[in-house]
Amino acid sequence: MTDLTQTQAPTLPVRKFRIRWSDIGDHAVLILGSLFMLVPLLIVLQTTTTTDVETIKNGPGLVIGDQFGANFDKAMFEASGFSGENTGMSMLKNSLILGLGFALGKIAIGMMAAYALVYFRLRFATFAFWLIFTTLLLPLEVRILPSYEIAQKLGLLNTYSGLIVPLIASATATFFFRQFFRSVPEELVEAARIDGAGPVKFFIDILVPLSQTMIAAMFIIMFVFGWNQYLWPTMITTEEHMYTLVRGIKQITQDLEGTNIPEYGRANMLALIAILPPVLVVIFFQSWFVKGLTESDK
Amino acid sequence: MKHFMTSTAAAAFAMVANSAFAETEITWWHAMGGALGETVNAIAEDFNASQDDYKITPVFKGTYEEALTAGIAAFRAGEQPNILQVFDAGAATVIGAKGATVPVQDLLTDNGVAFDINDYISGVRYFYADADDKMIGMPFNSSSPIMYYNVQAFEKAGVEPPKTWEEFQTVTAPALKDAGYTALTQSHLPWIFTENFMSRHDLPFATNNNGYEGAEGTEILVNNDAIKAHFTAVTEWQDAGYFEWFGTGWGDNATPFEEGKVGMWLGSSGSFGGLSKKDLPFDFSATYLPYWEAVTAEPKQTFIGGASLFAMSGHDAEDNKATAAFFEFLTQPETQYFWHQETGYVPITEAAYEMAKADGHYDRAPAAEVGIKQLSLPAGDNTKGYRMGFYVQIRDVMNREYGRILTGETSVEDAFATIEKEANALLAKFAKTQS
Amino acid sequence: MKRAGFTTRWLPILLLLPQLIIIAIFFYWPAAHAVQSSFYLQDPFGFGSTFVGVDNYKDLAGSGEYMKIARFTLVFTTLVTFFSLALALLLAVKADKVLRGARSYRTLLMWVYAVAPPVAGFIGLIMFDQSWGPLTELARSMGWDFKLGVNFNDTAVAMVIVSVWKQVPVNFIFFLSGLQSIPKAVREAALIDNRSATGRFWQVTFPLLAPTGFFLLIINITYALFDTFGIVDTLVKGEPGNNPMTLVYKVYVDGFRGNDLGGSSAQSVVLMVLVLALTIFQFRLVERRIHYT
Repeated sequence: MTDLTQTQAPTLPVRKFRIRWSDIGDHAVLILGSLFMLVPLLIVLQTTTTTDVETIKNGPGLVIGDQFGANFDKAMFEASGFSGENTGMSMLKNSLILGLGFALGKIAIGMMAAYALVYFRLRFATFAFWLIFTTLLLPLEVRILPSYEIAQKLGLLNTYSGLIVPLIASATATFFFRQFFRSVPEELVEAARIDGAGPVKFFIDILVPLSQTMIAAMFIIMFVFGWNQYLWPTMITTEEHMYTLVRGIKQITQDLEGTNIPEYGRANMLALIAILPPVLVVIFFQSWFVKGLTESDK
Repeated sequence: MKHFMTSTAAAAFAMVANSAFAETEITWWHAMGGALGETVNAIAEDFNASQDDYKITPVFKGTYEEALTAGIAAFRAGEQPNILQVFDAGAATVIGAKGATVPVQDLLTDNGVAFDINDYISGVRYFYADADDKMIGMPFNSSSPIMYYNVQAFEKAGVEPPKTWEEFQTVTAPALKDAGYTALTQSHLPWIFTENFMSRHDLPFATNNNGYEGAEGTEILVNNDAIKAHFTAVTEWQDAGYFEWFGTGWGDNATPFEEGKVGMWLGSSGSFGGLSKKDLPFDFSATYLPYWEAVTAEPKQTFIGGASLFAMSGHDAEDNKATAAFFEFLTQPETQYFWHQETGYVPITEAAYEMAKADGHYDRAPAAEVGIKQLSLPAGDNTKGYRMGFYVQIRDVMNREYGRILTGETSVEDAFATIEKEANALLAKFAKTQS
Repeated sequence: MKRAGFTTRWLPILLLLPQLIIIAIFFYWPAAHAVQSSFYLQDPFGFGSTFVGVDNYKDLAGSGEYMKIARFTLVFTTLVTFFSLALALLLAVKADKVLRGARSYRTLLMWVYAVAPPVAGFIGLIMFDQSWGPLTELARSMGWDFKLGVNFNDTAVAMVIVSVWKQVPVNFIFFLSGLQSIPKAVREAALIDNRSATGRFWQVTFPLLAPTGFFLLIINITYALFDTFGIVDTLVKGEPGNNPMTLVYKVYVDGFRGNDLGGSSAQSVVLMVLVLALTIFQFRLVERRIHYT
């Protein structure tokens, strides 16, 4: 191995040298970029290992303290507020319910609607299409107050359905699945019909297995999207036992503003806990996720 | 799950314990987070333990703004709580909506609870009352802006806490600066340097008797020479290094004082409990909010801040009776004294104040008395309160313009002209919603 | 609709029903409601309601402050879009070139995608803390007395930086996948034609990435307009004061905090029209893009 490079080296000295310089430049840019993304997280992580007094006095530093376990316990199991229900555990549970419920609900409803639109001859198909796809135009933020009022009228405040269902009222998943179904070879339906398979059988036995990657990708994107919801949970949940982690951030910043000693260790730990699950999902299912994200818009 | 089991157990227990008769259950939505919330809880538990007929459940609803919005939305859906805590800036909204609440004075007298407005300390009597001096909301967590100071800083500088702003700018601030301190910070410009500036100097804040006579035609009187002179002075103090401003946030302005870098901090009398628990690196004390001798020779009492409790309408007589019983319990001297000691909010009745005095509370902590004493100073024509609609937004406008003054983006003159214009537009808009 | 598909009548209706019911209740009803209440002034408790025609819109048009916020939103959107696209493009080009550690870089550069905006804002609060924030200290060491929450421009800078931090990963993912889908033959041909790397990038790679870039432009504009809500709310600690805010945050402040239902509904409708225009633009673009590929 060493011999080989040594004998080859003299033949292309200039070119190799140039490549290495530009390589170093490329790596330098990438390392700087990575640090830009990573350092804030490391700083937050550092503050979870020291005492609050230390953080308040000196801010983040380079020392790794021994408070990580204590702060983790406080964040996960100690309730804030007086109801005794607002612990990290309960927020984690609510965030999971929101993330999973949103992702599953959106995929189920989106697949069904997309199936109906692509594979059936419907008299009002165009109308239904426009009815559904207009919802892509207006994000929840601009109709937030009336949505809140309606949720209130329907008695959905502080319920999981109230948290999840109104968020599903946009057709992103439907749109993606429609695009995907349209790319599925037409011969499949023909073959299925010749075999005497009905629409339900075709959907369950052929289309769903075929869409696995698409479903996985959609699931990751939607889980992250649901988990990260902020404005709607802030409005719809006013009882502490319904708070999600991301909504809890508002509570955390309010606590930091309060008259008692700000609990940075605990607050920052909660922020980390809010970050971790969706980040892990994205990292572990990277290839599905990237594929889903970049292909779904075509 | 745990919550479900405990509440089931509690319900089962309640059924056994009270099998002879049913309890009337009422709810109370409030905005008291953290340690304050725990004190609220303790009061509710004491009330529930004190009798067998009624049971109150306090529910934390977030910030003041969130609690008000939640209460309004619930009212529109017919699911309002029995008691809603509304903060000072929301008073006009809730009092203006006649029929949304049962005036607390009527509620008490109708249910056979003795009521005399003169039992209450003078500063809290009329803030939540209507034009005819009828009390609409029950004052609850009442506070007033007072001046906290760092005792060691003043010793080092060799000066006394200033009584007037003239004294502050000529004597106190230069001495504190020489001693190495920033002389002054404050935590709420609209509340301390506007609303209470008006009451302390007995200046009218709005037409129509400070807005008490109705939303129609009410206009803000904030664009006056006295307050403009005050803000001009503040910018001069800022330039001279006597005053520093750290943004709109409450805590951002309190922190430098708590760190011992600032000589005096204007905060809430309700901050007393928190400051005492913080183990500050210096001794602190408190005194009255300074005033301008050039504006008045007889400074008056200040407005109460904080919030009050409103009995929402739409509940049956039995519920209202329970609410009245709770209010009666809440105004007992013992309850008020407990609340006062724990939080630093002022006791709202004379009897509770007497009890605190007799118990030696103020001998132990003289600073705890400053708020109530300031609220009990002589009243003037303009000190009973103010009533302006969309006041939350008006405060937002003030915060914005004051921030611009202190960062040099606008002049005092322009800022107050803008506040006046935008506030009057909001008031006119509010008047239209009321018809 | 290209498929002949099935002809069952009741099944498609049944399949569509859940979607249609949800959007009817939580999309069309509230949207209609917003349009309607923008023509009224309402007592928050629902007692009084006055029809005021287009007064709420006139108020907005005549409000210097609203125009200021609109202008800030425009500047903010431009800055966030530009910097997150430029940074992501640079990183994607480099990540596409290197062989060693490509996967690690990809992971390191994309995980922030999963961070919620308010959590990003919260991290921003730590980084820019008035007394000990690392970035505050950095700025001070360079002679810039950075004051988050006090100085309008400083807060704006913090908002842009945090928003860019949060948005770079999405753009990076799209650009990288766009780069990787450029056929090998094209690359090799370019290598022969153009010996300078910079020249190659601008003459070959950049035009090929343009459709992705256009698509991302819309995504980024929407992000800066709406999804940054959590960042703004956290960085101003719920009390905007003299700090900058975006149009969607103003809807929230006036409607939810201030209980001005009519005024904030009118603002909602303005935003609806804005997004509508943007999306029509986007649809035309996406359609064209489908023709390309």
